Amino acid sequence: MNAPVGHYLYNAADRGFLGERIAEFEGQVRRRLEGSLSEEEFKPLRLMNGLYLQLHAYMLRVAIPYGVLDSRQLRKLAHVARRYDRGYGHFTTRQNIQFNWIRLEDTPAILRELADVDMHAIQTSGNCIRNVTSDQFAGAAADELMDPRVHAEILRQWSTLHPEFTFLPRKFKIAISGSPQDRVAARFHDIGILARPSEAGPVFRIFVGGGLGRTPLVGQEMFDSVPEERLLMTLEAILRVYNAYGRRDNIYKARIKILVQALGIDGYRAEVEQELARMNPDHYRLSPETVEAIRARFAAPDLSAPEGASDALARDRRDNPDFARWVRSNTHPHFAPGRIVVTVSVKPAGEIPGDASADQMDALADIADRYSFGEIRVTHLQNLVLAHVAQDRLLALWQELQAIDLGDANHELIGDIVACPGLDYCALANARSIPIAQKLSARFADSTLQEKIGPLRINISGCINACGHHHVGHIGLLGVDKRGEEFFQITLGGRADDLARTGAILGAALPEDDMVDAIARIVDRYLSIRETGEGFLDTLTRLGDAPFKEAAYETV
Amino acid sequence: MKRAIRIGQGEGLVLTANRLLDGNIVWRDESGIWRPSIAHAAVLTPDHYESALDSALATAQKDAVVGVYEVVVRPGRPPQPVSVRERIRAFGPTVHPQFATELEA
Amino acid sequence: MKRFDLSSPPRSGHDGIAVVPVDEMEESTRAVRLTPETDVEAIGPALAALDVVVVTFPVFRDGRGFTQARALREYYGFTGEIRAEGHILPDQARFLHLCGVDCVMLPEGSDPTPWQEALTLFSGSYQDRLGLR
Ligand code: SF4
Repeated sequence: MNAPVGHYLYNAADRGFLGERIAEFEGQVRRRLEGSLSEEEFKPLRLMNGLYLQLHAYMLRVAIPYGVLDSRQLRKLAHVARRYDRGYGHFTTRQNIQFNWIRLEDTPAILRELADVDMHAIQTSGNCIRNVTSDQFAGAAADELMDPRVHAEILRQWSTLHPEFTFLPRKFKIAISGSPQDRVAARFHDIGILARPSEAGPVFRIFVGGGLGRTPLVGQEMFDSVPEERLLMTLEAILRVYNAYGRRDNIYKARIKILVQALGIDGYRAEVEQELARMNPDHYRLSPETVEAIRARFAAPDLSAPEGASDALARDRRDNPDFARWVRSNTHPHFAPGRIVVTVSVKPAGEIPGDASADQMDALADIADRYSFGEIRVTHLQNLVLAHVAQDRLLALWQELQAIDLGDANHELIGDIVACPGLDYCALANARSIPIAQKLSARFADSTLQEKIGPLRINISGCINACGHHHVGHIGLLGVDKRGEEFFQITLGGRADDLARTGAILGAALPEDDMVDAIARIVDRYLSIRETGEGFLDTLTRLGDAPFKEAAYETV
Repeated sequence: MKRAIRIGQGEGLVLTANRLLDGNIVWRDESGIWRPSIAHAAVLTPDHYESALDSALATAQKDAVVGVYEVVVRPGRPPQPVSVRERIRAFGPTVHPQFATELEA
Repeated sequence: MKRFDLSSPPRSGHDGIAVVPVDEMEESTRAVRLTPETDVEAIGPALAALDVVVVTFPVFRDGRGFTQARALREYYGFTGEIRAEGHILPDQARFLHLCGVDCVMLPEGSDPTPWQEALTLFSGSYQDRLGLR
């Protein structure tokens, strides 16, 4: 079999490992059912295999390492959705997919089916190093310095069943990007890595201690230029300090960001340097041969495009204004002439953000085979990406996407809402995130209006765990519980890019019923007071939040 | 797990859990059997629920349920949980009406 | 307590040896018990005279003992016995072994079968394949 485009090709050892892991999990399920494992003991073990007990059933979160899938894997996910769930799956903000109606007794069989296509659910939950995320435009974007996926795969392998770091104080999330345009929110991860080439080979800039949740903090730079050979050694040292000193007495203070805050970034760095000084570099060396062996298991697609592909696209855009609008919002420049990167919106107006039906998944797998080397990526905004489309075929692709209700022109616009599962599915939630997202996207369905409003990111979390990343939404909504009823707090001005900051709370929480109108009034106010060329964040910076506060609380 | 709970005038309590094997939500009926619908749940008075909760917890492993706890309801057919969260557990996700819980199951 | 050996062949047992907490160490001490809070550095100088160091797990989710064991082996070159005690699951046997722990102390009467199985379940590790250690 040829290596898949975009992700690592498994070998016999990788497949053998998955089989062993499933056998282990089967044994754990058996011990749980017999009673020799208590629920308290079983829970962390099942979580490390991606299995949660949610509101209505078990939820299985399947890993999509660095967000890249091939078409046969997507077809398998469709099959799992049909056979073991209720015909759909939910793409998450960490580039994974989850199924909401899973039975514990089916889980080993599901894991075996996934292993048939080199997939697993390992470390998608639990207090361990979670599935590594990366740039959804990796290896395609014109602005990229270095393709981060080979190193993302190395991180996946290094962190898999790591003997020392599987029982950390709390979950641990790593993201890696190779572009100066930070599309992975590197500064909002426990460790964020920005890779770049240098004369001496790849070097890595490392941020530590970022995160959202109850205490949102922007990660700080720990090292500017870690050489490739010392990448894993450096990560081990950072984690070793965290495992030894991270707080274990209070779940809300257990993330590495709290330790970084307590020691200060300089204090933490000094601890890490002390570890590094005592570690034997030979034992931790990431050798160029190892890197090359992994790189060799990624296919290199032929990215040439037919002569005149760009002219054909220019003509199609001229002839078809709706298509032209979609091209403006949902594509990104590719480094290869005649190719283009496409973001497929999984946010049809009025629908559940990030949900895809089994039929849509199958159709997309076929489309990916025909238009993008059988490769599909998942973004942390819960959309999908076809990374290498020939420009002369873009119109045909858009028409096919429209036919399966995935052709909305709303990427990074108001309709592109990020929402966590919220109280409809999540056992920890205070409020329902999805219905608000549905009502808002329906209200702003008109794509001309969306384009007029311009880039506007709305993020909704059903509780302070912030899975909907509300802190970094231009407009963020956070569900709070008031005596069993749903309320939402509004934050304005968050962003996850190079100017990363968290949004500021606008005022008292509003009841769920008022939310959609309140947001609509904020957007209307922005449209009426903005100056030419101003985006929402610009207007907010110029005028402060007073006009928006007035609009939001108008009727209260 | 005893928690501070707020019980209003005329409200009662039902016991709930998830089934270990499939994760499905269940409710405890008059004879201590775990049933898939809240319509069959025994409504307990604030004075009497604690002994029922203790016995449910004691037999949880044998009954193959996890996460046993009490839910405040307004009595009726079916009993209506007071909080949004428990109404969603009892009747199904609001965003997928096709997955509404069958109350007479 | 019953001893279960993670390494084969087993290291010579020190079953009868008296184990004392770190702050009760004397010159004659041969075996010491760490708590998860213990900074391994604190006993560094004394290690050469010790036969046994015990790492403890108040609850299996508290993974500090893994880092302590590695520090003992890697930073101090400790070659004596490292023993694990407390609330430990068979599912952690391999991790303990890879971090340098030699044996675990199980409650009397507990079944060693899941422990034996856990040690043979996996044929290798990703860290090995990456050439680490
Ligand atoms: S933010 Fe809260 S409600 Fe939403 S998915 Fe995360 S834990 Fe659940």
